[in-house]
Order: sequence, then C-alpha cells, then structure tokens
Amino acid sequence: MSIATAPLLLEDTPLGPKAGGLYRRQNALVGLIAGVVLAAIGWVVSHALLQGSNWGSDMVVTVTLTCWVIGFNIGIGTFNAPFSWVVGKDSTREDELYGAGVGQGAARYWKYCTDHKVVGTQYFVLVMVLFAIGGTLAMMIRTQLITAHSSFLSPGTYNNIVTIHGMIMIIATIIMVSGPFANFILPIMIGAKDMAFPRLNAMSLWVVVSAVPPLLATFVLGGVDTGWTTYAPLSVQAPPAMDAFAICIITFAGVSVTVAGINTIVTVSTMRAKGMTMSRVPIFAWGSVVSAALGLYAMPAFLTAMSMMITDRATGTSFFVNQLGGAGWLWENVFWTMGHPEVYVILLPGVAALMEIASTFSRKPVFAYKAAVAAFVGIAALAIMVWAHHMFTTGWAPNLATPFMLTTELISIPTGVIFLVLIGTIWKGSIWTRLPMYFLYLFLWNFIIGGVTGIYLSDVPADQFFHGNMFTTAHFHYTLLGGAMIASTGAVCYWFPKMTGRMLNERIGKTAFWFIAIAFQVTYFGQFWEGFQGMPRRIAFYDPIFLRANQMSTIGAYFLMLGWMILLAAIIVSWRNGKIAPANPWHAKSLEWKVQTPVPLENFLVDPVVTSDPYTYGEGVPDGQNEPSAAPEPELVPVGASESSKGEGAS
Amino acid sequence: MSLTTSEHESTEDGEHHHEYLPAVEGAENPGGEHESAGERDKKERLMIWLFIGGDLVILILEVFAWFYLRTLNSNGMWNAAKCTAAANCVDGLGNPLIGPVPKASIWHPMIIMSLAIISALFVWAAESASRRKAAKGAVSGPALAALVCMIGAIVVQILQFQVLPFTTIDGGYASVYEFFMGSTLAHLLLMGFILTGLWTRAAKGRYQGGTFHRVRIMRMFGVWIAISTGVLAIVGGFFV
Repeated sequence: MSIATAPLLLEDTPLGPKAGGLYRRQNALVGLIAGVVLAAIGWVVSHALLQGSNWGSDMVVTVTLTCWVIGFNIGIGTFNAPFSWVVGKDSTREDELYGAGVGQGAARYWKYCTDHKVVGTQYFVLVMVLFAIGGTLAMMIRTQLITAHSSFLSPGTYNNIVTIHGMIMIIATIIMVSGPFANFILPIMIGAKDMAFPRLNAMSLWVVVSAVPPLLATFVLGGVDTGWTTYAPLSVQAPPAMDAFAICIITFAGVSVTVAGINTIVTVSTMRAKGMTMSRVPIFAWGSVVSAALGLYAMPAFLTAMSMMITDRATGTSFFVNQLGGAGWLWENVFWTMGHPEVYVILLPGVAALMEIASTFSRKPVFAYKAAVAAFVGIAALAIMVWAHHMFTTGWAPNLATPFMLTTELISIPTGVIFLVLIGTIWKGSIWTRLPMYFLYLFLWNFIIGGVTGIYLSDVPADQFFHGNMFTTAHFHYTLLGGAMIASTGAVCYWFPKMTGRMLNERIGKTAFWFIAIAFQVTYFGQFWEGFQGMPRRIAFYDPIFLRANQMSTIGAYFLMLGWMILLAAIIVSWRNGKIAPANPWHAKSLEWKVQTPVPLENFLVDPVVTSDPYTYGEGVPDGQNEPSAAPEPELVPVGASESSKGEGAS
Repeated sequence: MSLTTSEHESTEDGEHHHEYLPAVEGAENPGGEHESAGERDKKERLMIWLFIGGDLVILILEVFAWFYLRTLNSNGMWNAAKCTAAANCVDGLGNPLIGPVPKASIWHPMIIMSLAIISALFVWAAESASRRKAAKGAVSGPALAALVCMIGAIVVQILQFQVLPFTTIDGGYASVYEFFMGSTLAHLLLMGFILTGLWTRAAKGRYQGGTFHRVRIMRMFGVWIAISTGVLAIVGGFFV
C-alpha cells in the first residue's frame, strides 16, 4: 500500500447547514467592516471624551486603532472560541471540520481557517505582500540617494519611509520562515496532523494582518521619523503616528509572534510521530523550536518597551523622559533586550531550512547534526547576553563594554559551527544543483561577509567609527537580507512543490537568482564603500564625496528589485500554470515528502511510525553511486508487522 | 526516513481511515475525544508553562525598570525627593513640584495580592474536587468563590486608581507604580475571564469524570497570577 493511493475522507465529509456556527458568516471582509466600524465608534467616543485632555491626540489614536484591531479580530472570528468556551459551549466535530476549511474551496483562504496548511499559505502570501511594500519603500530611499541633494523626497518624508521600511521588513523577516514553513511544512515533517493549537495558529496569522494597517496609517498621522529603533526621547516627541506604530508592535510582537512561538514549541515537543525521538527530528524543526523559544524571550520585551512608550505618550508617564525621572537608556536596554535576539529569531529557521536543502541535494545526512543543534542552542543562549553592543556609542555603562564585546565575539563560534555544518554537508556530496542550491551558495557567500563585518561592529573602538554610518547598514543587510532572506528564498524554492502542487519554473527562477546575486553585491558593497568614507546613515542629503558610492548602491538596488520581481513572477506563473509536482520531486527523505500532493486534511491517512533519522541517504548504495534518483521510497508496514517498526516512542 | 504505519481503523476492504468521532472538545465532552486526555494535558501544560515564561520576561523588565529608574533618579525626579522650590522641579505639565511625591497606600496591593492568593487556593480546591471526582457542586462552588475573589481584586485595583495620591505625570516612581497597577489589572482581568469559564463549565458538570487536568492548568495560571501580583505589590510597596 502507498500513502499516495489512500482515499481522502475528511475533505469529502458532507457538512450540515449549521456546521461552523458563527464562523459561516465571518471572513476577512466582515473583519474589515467590523474593524472600521469599531474604529469609527472608538474615534467618536474618544474624541468626545479625551480630545480635550492633555494628551488628547495620542489617546484618540491609541483608542481608535486598538478598536480597529479588536473589531477586525471580532469580525474574522478570533474571539469566537474563547467566548464559546467561557459560556460552556463546545464545538462539534462538524464545526471543527468547517473551521478547517472543509467544503469551502478557495474561500477558506479568506477565513479564520484552522488547517495549518491554509494558515501557512496565508502567511506565504502575506509575507510577499509585506516584502512588496517594504521593497517599494526601499526603492524610494535609494532613489532619493541617487544624487547628493535630490528633491524626490523631503527630509521628513525620507525619515518616515526609512522607519516604516525598517519595521515592515523586520515584521516580514520574522514571519517569513516561521509563518509559511513552520506552519505548512513543520507539522507534516514531524508526523503531526496539525499544529498543537489550530485556533491559536489561525489567530497568530489574523492578528498580524490586523497589525499592518496601523503601521501603514503612520504615513497619514504625521509619520515616524525616528528610525525603526524609535529611540527615546525622539519617539516620545514624535507625532501621533508613533502611537499607531506602537499599537502595531504590541499586536504583532506581544500577541502574534508569542502565540505562534508557543504553538511551534508545543507542536514539536508533544506531537511527533511515534519513533521520532529528538535525535531523529529534522534539523528544520530544531531551528524552528530554538527560534520560537528565543522569540518567547524577545517579543515580550518588545511588548513591554512599546507599552511603556505608549503610556509615556498617551498618559504622561515619564519612563523615557530624563528631566522627569525617566531615562532614554531604559528604552535602549529594554529595546535591545528584544533587538539582538530578534536577529536570531529571524535567522535560525532559515539556516535550518538550508541544512535540509544541503542534505537533500547532496544526498548526505546533515553533517554534525548534534553540533548543529548545539550551535542553535548556543546562539540562543549567547544572543540574550549581547544586547548592549548596540549601545557602545551611547555612553551607557562603559565598564560593561568589554564584557559585551567578548560575548558578542563569542557568538561567532556557534555561528561558525553552523557555517561548517552547511559546508560539511555538501562536502563531497553527490550534488544536484537545482534552484534551492543556488540560494544555499549565495547564502554562504553573503553570510560570511555579513558575519565578518559584524566582528568589526562588536569591537568597541571600531564600532565608534562604524556604528552611525552606512557600514552598519550594509552589514545588517548582508546578514538579514543576504543571509536570512536568501535562506528563506531557498526554502521557498525547496518547499514550493509541496505547498502549491506545482513545480517552480527554474528557468525564470535562475534568471531571478543571477539578478539578485549580482545586484545584491553591487548594492551593499556600495554601502560598505559609503561607510568606509564615513557617510552617516539615515540622512536624505549628503556631501558629494559620497556620490559615486551612492550611485553604485542605487543602481544595484534597481537591479536587485528587478531580480525580486522576476522571482515573484516565477512564483505567480508557476503557481497558476506550473508543471504538476510529484509528491517527492527531490527524492528527499523527511516525512513531508512522503505524503501526497496536495496534502490531505490532517496530513496522514495512516499514522507514521519513524524508525530512522531523516537523512538516510545512500544507505545500501555503494560509495559514489548515491545519485539523487537512487533514493528508494520507504515501505509502509502496519505497526507490529516487523521488528524494525519498534522505534522509540516520542510521546 | 524509514517509517511504518499505525492504523486507526481498517475497513473490510483493507483501506486505511482516520478515526472519525462526532466531537472533539476534550474529555469533558464525552465521546468527543479526537486525542487522548493525556495528550491534551501534556500540550496544555506545556503551553501554560511557556506562556508563564513569556509573562515572566515582562515581570522581570517591569521590576528592572523600577530599580533602574529608582537607582538612576535622574534629575532628582524618582519621587521628587530632592525637589525644592529653588530647584524648580516641574511635573509632566510644567507645574512646580515641591517636595517628594506622596507614596501610594500599601494596603491596596496587599489586599489585591491576598485576594489573588485566596482565589488560587479556591481553584486548587476545585482541582482537588475534580481530581477525586466529587459532585458537580464541589467543583463549581470553589470555582465561584475563586471568581468572586478575583472580581474583588479587580474592584480594589480600580479603586486604587481613584485614590492614588499622585498621577502619571509626577515623575519616575509615579510612572512605574501606575504601570504596575495597569499590568496587574490586565492580569486580573484575564484571570477573571478564565475563572468565569471555569465556573460556568463546572456548573455544567464538565470537570467530572477524570478531567481534572483542565482545572489544573487554570490553577497553574492562577498561582502564577498570585505570584506576579505579589511581586509587584511587594516591590511597589516596600522599595520606594
């Protein structure tokens, strides 16, 4: 028997006319309407009651946008289950199936759907939309900088765009792997039927959706010209747009990422297939769990920082107002308590996905699997001890500069291990150079540059020169865009066939790759050049001595954007009309490739029992002959039929 | 990855199907179990621990903010202890401040903490009754008592806002203290919501028959609420 030929039952279940209850009437449009209506009510009431008070505008904006978030989530269905629970009403199996999207076709993608695959796909589209917005803002920034005194944007508008570009990209990169792939792929990978808490999973998605309009509203509320770090006292003095910014972050970080992280950890910890011990878990699951755990440390800190800031602005507290007993350093400490771990929250899942890619396309197990896991954990542990290296130039606690320099430089050790794991995995492998591998190679190149330049910034004397200039901008783009985002692009290419049922057009994809790979270097080497010349960051006008470097960077950026647009075209074209994907186009070994495509509801028609690690490439094949096509499909044997089925129980 | 399969059910023609049951909302819904009570318990307990872990980060940062601003005492404005008319200290609206900001009453947070602790003890009693499969009233009674305590704590917290001897604009101490109060109120409201569910569901007999683990996770959270409320009450009351 093969899994692929088993019948689909759940999707075909006929549901009664009342299945789903209130959910039947709820979707994104209802959410939008409810959000707008409640926001309007919030505005009218708060305007009437609070506008005359000392912080009237800030209070009105805060109340209005909080009402928007609550209203949208009422409309989409986020609160249905908690309130049903509190009045003692339980959902039926039919309700659950309706909630999972049974019988709703494409409409389920606009609803509060609990199927992890739908949530993963929704995240995938959301991430692309966010990158499109953030990328457009990036192009506006680079267009402004193509000449020394461009009038394309006013300085204020330029600063607003820099801020929102940064924040949108941070949001998008935090969810770019943990959203689509930790939702769609991870449960299948570990042999689970869904995420541990499907409703919370849907909630994490729709809460992010509700957080985006407040962020975009900043443009019409006076703008946030502080940079995404929103340092006090600038943030306390900023226009009411800053309140919208804070509402976005509180909603996104405090609710969505925290809930999603808890869900990921619980899923991997408690829902693994029988026989899948932690040493048999695919490395992507490890990366996702460590990232989620780190997020669970970082995101509450972001929530706390933004809550303090919004109370400073809307109620007159003085957490960050020095003359009134507060301290700007308090903001910096709490913010960077989140800020540096967040880099690894972004990076680790992408790197772990690349390890899967390296193994699959080299036909070798992940090299030094346990060392890779230890490196993930080591990075997470060190990441919470390095925050103050972002504050070397602020004058805070100079005596602590040396310890923080040391911990920051120490983190390069586990990071180096990750690098070696990737190299070791492809070393002497039977490499099959498909599109995901292209992005793996690009990651290796970019990330070593991002990593090495990071060492300069961890060094206190060097940081005095580089910290406020474009060198830093180039460094973190090499790390986050050149490293994490390129890794996630590799993951898109790798798991696209499983998620969409279509093969990604590799010809267009490779064209996009070469544009991205080359243009990226031009763009950010240009910014390194600017940095070495001493050009400050976050400025709309500059001295003409920086002109050549800026022109180089801007021209590179145009081609980089072109590359991303070509890749987006490849995704859209392939999703609509691409070649139908087989269940396992890469002949990979992990469980997500063992189920049919499209993946059925609850994923497995029979519960898998795992009897080996996920990287048994080349077993039974003579050395040098473990070619990609040689990977045998596993036999499925009912439990108890053979001794080999007696794996260690995971749960 | 080698794998074998475990069948939920085999039909006569040998094809494999999922177990298919009419409802899924936990063991408290007899016949509706899609996964075992033990599996749900394991997941939910871990979820609560992780949630508490995230909340602990917030608590630590709140306490950090308190001691950081208190130690820094920038511009002598922690609680305006060094302000004199000559120093020209002003509040957040520019009004002159003369002398220290009065301290908040220690009794309100102590009462709130006590009510939170008593509430947690009642939830513990409800769990104990559920664990020994006692009558419906033995679970819903303590649940109602826990809810009443929690509502009392919420009321006292709101009342404290009315009688504070300072406002948000009076410097560092006033700022962090009121933040503590807001944070405590948010936690109490969340716990109040959970206890309402515990009571209504217990009254419907949902926690009979070996489903004590659902009450246990509420008790875990209730204990955490009592601890976090207590920490903020002690810091705010005794470390001015």
